[in-house]
Parts: sequence; structure tokens; C-alpha cells
Amino acid sequence: MPDERAPWEQASASAQYDASAADLAELRELILGAERRRLEELERRLDAEGLNREALAELLPEAIALRAGRDRQLARALAPTVENAIGESVRRNPRPIATAIFPVLGPAIRKAIAEALADLVSSINRALEHSFSPRGLRWRLEAWRTGVPYAQIVLRHALVYRVEQVFLIDRDTGLLLAHAVAPELTASDADLISGMLTAIRDFVADSFAREREVGGLRRFSVGELTVMVEQGPQALIAAVVRGEAPDSLLTRLQDTLETIHLQFAGALADFDGDTAQFASARPLLEECLATKIATDHPREGRQRVVWLPWALAALLLVVVLGGLALRARLRWDRAVARLRSEPGIVLTQAERDGGRWRFAGLRDPLAPDPAVLLAGLAVDTGRIEQRWEPYLSLRPELVLARARRSLSPPAGVQLALSGDTLRATGSAPLDWVVSAERLAASVPGVSALDLSGVTAEVPPELAQLQREIEGEQVLFDVGSAALGATARSAADRVAERFGRVEAGAAALGTRATLVLIGRTDPTGSDTANQALSRDRAEAVLAALAVRGVSRGGTSVSALGTTRPLPAGKPADRARINRSVSFRVSVGPQVGGEPSQ
Amino acid sequence: MIQKKVCMVGVFGTGKTSLVQRYVHSMFSERYLSTVGVKIERKPLDLDGTALTLVLWDLAGRDKHEDITGSYLRGAHAVLYVADGTRKETCDQLPELRALAREFAGDVPGVLALNKSDLTGSWALSRGDEKALEAEWDLVRTSARTGDGVEETFRRLGRATLASKEARP
Repeated sequence: MPDERAPWEQASASAQYDASAADLAELRELILGAERRRLEELERRLDAEGLNREALAELLPEAIALRAGRDRQLARALAPTVENAIGESVRRNPRPIATAIFPVLGPAIRKAIAEALADLVSSINRALEHSFSPRGLRWRLEAWRTGVPYAQIVLRHALVYRVEQVFLIDRDTGLLLAHAVAPELTASDADLISGMLTAIRDFVADSFAREREVGGLRRFSVGELTVMVEQGPQALIAAVVRGEAPDSLLTRLQDTLETIHLQFAGALADFDGDTAQFASARPLLEECLATKIATDHPREGRQRVVWLPWALAALLLVVVLGGLALRARLRWDRAVARLRSEPGIVLTQAERDGGRWRFAGLRDPLAPDPAVLLAGLAVDTGRIEQRWEPYLSLRPELVLARARRSLSPPAGVQLALSGDTLRATGSAPLDWVVSAERLAASVPGVSALDLSGVTAEVPPELAQLQREIEGEQVLFDVGSAALGATARSAADRVAERFGRVEAGAAALGTRATLVLIGRTDPTGSDTANQALSRDRAEAVLAALAVRGVSRGGTSVSALGTTRPLPAGKPADRARINRSVSFRVSVGPQVGGEPSQ
Repeated sequence: MIQKKVCMVGVFGTGKTSLVQRYVHSMFSERYLSTVGVKIERKPLDLDGTALTLVLWDLAGRDKHEDITGSYLRGAHAVLYVADGTRKETCDQLPELRALAREFAGDVPGVLALNKSDLTGSWALSRGDEKALEAEWDLVRTSARTGDGVEETFRRLGRATLASKEARP
């Protein structure tokens, strides 16, 4: 032990009081003895045995508590060992650890699963609920327009608020300490946003310096997003919230910020750019990532109106509606014009009432069906109401159609109308010709039937008789009108055959006509010849009358020398022209002039 | 991960923004500089195996340094000064800028980028001027056009922030 005496003490001792050294030692022992012994004891402990286990066991818990309260060094030092120890324990036998943490993990896992399921059910419910409502359709349209999945659109609209991102920012440097983002979102450049947030905060604080003490920028909104900032002595916490951020959220952020200040006090104070130590603050931030969804969805107060797409849609709608109206109008005009121009239809009333079209008027039964006409114009006939009174039209088309319907002419006959006269041309069976004359009189609009263009097809047996009669010729002597024997037998044949022709014609409802044509040779005067030809025809007629031919069906034609019958030699010509020949016609007065 | 806040200051027209824009990541437009007065960018570095991210605060300097919002300098780990070698007056204002930085950020390391080094024809600094600057500053000659010295500037800044770790309170 070193000599602790003062210099003056040493000097006087050596000079005068050698003898009393023992006294001094005794005095020292009296004053300092107890302390010296304690020091010696401590020295002995330190030198001889190092740290006493007993003492350490005594001090360790207290020491740990003391150091842990001071800083995080102990935890840092112990962490690797603890990790290794747990790892080793699990490797050796996982059961004790598993048993130990089971009571903690079990409820946590159950809770997480329950929450996930509840979220899922609720979002499915909501999606179904909104699928077919007008709002659902609107959201589907929005999803289609923006390319965002429908589920997210539903979420966005049914959302009261959602905390999308939380930043923990160093107050001085604006550096990002920790960051949490909602699970389904991605956030890039959080560090830049963090810096810019700090800068904006400073900017606002500097611009409104007076308010600075009150706490600076705490809340600002961008569209549907609100940024809430809470400020602590060393760090800021900022939350990006979509929707209606409630004030309770600020309290929550405050709590979190306080907890962080408490837990990371050292790290915050010593922060020099190393953000790794704040990784464990992330769970705290994640707790702030809350989502609140409306279960009962009241009408949203402020609806963001994106006017441009709506305006465009409205414009498009106007254009389309205008186009449709114009088209409907044109179609209507066309329909009315079509009906007005149609023969046999008299349009007296045409109305358009919304989608319904009403037509009324007169219609000839032979006119085409108006519905069919309009269908041809691509008009929806389902919306047409029509009321037509029947009438008979005297328009030529209709008269002709009516005549065709009444007369039903055979294929070889064409009908045409000229004024009120119906003209038929072509060839037709005699019986049609006979009935046509009768029927034509009953067709409204037809006052006369002209059958002169129709060749009546006489039944073959009558035609045969006709040819036989017309082949007969009664010859006379020069200047005479007397009938010889030959002439009388010819008269017999003609009378008999004409009687059969008359009977056949009567069976067909018509009559037969026999024309007796008298001629002379060219000698003598024309006047005489004219008279002679008449006498000759009359003579034959008298002979026929005797043989039962009634005069009603006959006529006489005295040609004299006009239109002589042709023959090769002059002598023959004179002979055959001193004659009476016959022309038979059957049916109405058709077939034109008798042929030579 | 280590992040450092670096403020970039310089007189208007020294090419401060164009000096770095090709070398950094930014999500903000130039408009921020004239409105908020700052634009934030990120420059990742790898310094001998240490991953470091410089968060650059590009502070607007319009006509005079008074335009710089001082509070943006707060907490900076380093300051990048930018001067224009073809305009001597931009160098003359450096002491004022440094004083401003000291006021708000404390005595943090700084690097001076002497820009437009490619314009040797219109170089306005004499050899003596440059000597004087070199004596006082950690100086890098840079060119926004050729990119010369830009990476070097960032690396020096990065090293300076790491080295000053112990020096900071």
C-alpha cells in the first residue's frame, strides 16, 4: 500500500517522532482500519478469484435490467446468442419451443384466418350486391373504361377510407426510416416522396411562419387522397389515406409515433442515415394500415364528377338520338309518300305518336296490303295501326286488275284498258269469248268490251262444218238467177250443215251467222250486175228458207263484180263468179271481215 | 441500408440541375424547383462494398442565394456546391452559400463542383483563382455535357458523409 501521508507529515516524522511510529500506526488503524480492510478484501477478490459466481448470480438480473434501461447494447449483444440458442433448441427437439409459443400463435393464426375470411365474404357479398344494380353497371363501365379490375372499383366505391401508406420520416433530414404499404398496392419511390413531404412541410411552415409553433402542416388532400402528418420531436409519421379520413386516425398515428419514439429513442437520436435499425418499426406502421368499408352504404356526399367522359357520352347520345330521330322522320315521310302514291289507296289520316304510327283511309280490296308496302321500306310493322274502309277505285290499274279477276282470261289473251273500254287481244276458246262478253258488263269501270283482237277458237266439229259450208258454191247461167238441180242439192247440204252449226252455237250460248255472197261475171252494166248478184243471193236464201234456215241467222251480201273470186283463165273466172258463196261465223261479232 | 441527405446549392445558371439529371432517379418535374423550391432525387452508390443512397435535395437558386429556403438545408449530411467556371461571380458567391449551409445544416462536409469544364474557351478563372478555390474546397471539375467528374463528385460526397459519421454530434 502506498504511503499516503502529506510531505510535511513525512518530514516531521523522520526528524522527531521515530519512536512514536507504532503509535501512529495504531492511530491510523483506528481511523482508517475499517476502510483499509474492505479495500484489501476487494483487492483479494479481484486478484485472486476474478468474478465471484455467487456475487455475479446476485447482481446479474439487476445489472441486466439496469443496462437494458440505459441502451440497447445488451439486447444487441445477446441477440445472436439467443437466436443461436433457440435455433439449437429447435434442432435438438422442436417440441418445447412449439409448446411454449403455441398459446400465442394459435389465437393469432385463428384471428388472421377469420379476418381474411370475413373480408372475402364481405367483398363477395358486395360484388354480388352491386353486380346487377345500376350502380353495379356504372362501376362495370368504369372498370371497363379505366382498365382497373372490377373488384378494385367496387372496393374503391364501397370504401369509407383506407390507409394506403404510412411513412416514418426522420424529422431533420427527411430521410425515410420505415415505410408500410397496403397489401394489394405497390409503392415506389417512397424515399423520394418522404423527402418531398418533408420539403413541402418545411415550405408550408416557412410560408406561414406564424403558425409554425402550432405544429405545421398536419393534413392536406389531393383528390381522393388525404395525407395526414403527425410530428414528434425526432420523427414524423405520415399516412396516405384514400376516402374520408377520420380524426380518430390522427390519434392512432400519434399513439404509434409515441410508441416509436419510446422504443427507438436511441436509434432516433443517433440516426445517421442507417435505416436498417428501423426495420422493426414496420409492424407498428402496418398496424395503421386500416381499411374501413361501408356495410350500409349511404349516398356518397361528394362524388367526384369526371365531367369530360360524361360530356362526351352525352354528346354522343345527342348525336345518336338526333340521328335516330332524323332517320325515323325520313322513314315516316317515305312511308307516307309511298302510301299516297299507291293506286287503290286513299290516305285520309296519317299520325305519328311516339313510336306508334296510325294510318286510316280508303283501300280498294285489290290494292296491295299497306303493311306489306311499308315492310318493304324497312318499317317495323309491329308498331303500325291501320284502319281502311273498302272502296272501288276507278284508277286504270285497279279496273284492269278487277277485269282480270272477273274474266280470268286464258293464257293467250292480253287485256288492256283504253278509257272505259276493255280491249282483249290474242286467241281464246270460243266459250271464253262468249262468257267474257257477258262478264265484262259487270266489271265496275268497264263500259265496253272490245273483242275484235281475239281469235275465237271454234270447237273442231263446228269448224269442220264451217269449212264444208264455205267450200260450197252455187253456180248460175249467164244473166240468170234461177237455181238448177245442182244448185238445189248444194242448198240441201248447206241448209242441213248450217242447222247443225246453229245448234252447236246455241249449245255454247251464242249463235251462228250465215252470209250469202252474190256475184256476177263482168259482162253487162254494174247496176245490172249488182241487182243480179242480189237476186242470185236472195234466190239461194229463199231455197234455204224452204229448207228450214231461219232468216234471222242469215244475211245477204250483193257484191256484183266488185271483189271477184280469183281464177286462172278468164272463162273460168267468169263462170265461178256467176255464183253465190257462203261465209259462216260463230259467236259474237268477232273475227273481222269475211275472208275472200 | 444507409441513406444520406445531400443538398445541392448553386447560383442560378450554373447548370446544377442538368449536371445530375442523367445520373439520378427522380419522379418530380422541374416545376417543383420553381414552385416549392426543391426537387428530390435519388442516387444509389456502392462505395467499396457499402451500399449507400444519396437523397439529393436540389435547391432552387434563382438570382441570389436568398431564394434558397434555408430550412431545406436542415439535417443535410453533406452539401454539394455548384459553380460555373465560365462565370467568376458564381464562385464569388460560394462563401455566402457556405455560410447559409452552416447556419442551417451545421459544419457538414461539402464538395464543390466547378461546372462547364468543357467550355475551356470561355473559362473565366485564372490559374490563381483555381488554386485559391482548391485550397479552400474539395473541388471537382465537372461537365454536364460530357458527364466528366459527375460520378466522381457523387463518390466524394458519399465518402464524405460516411467519414463524417463520427464527427457529427
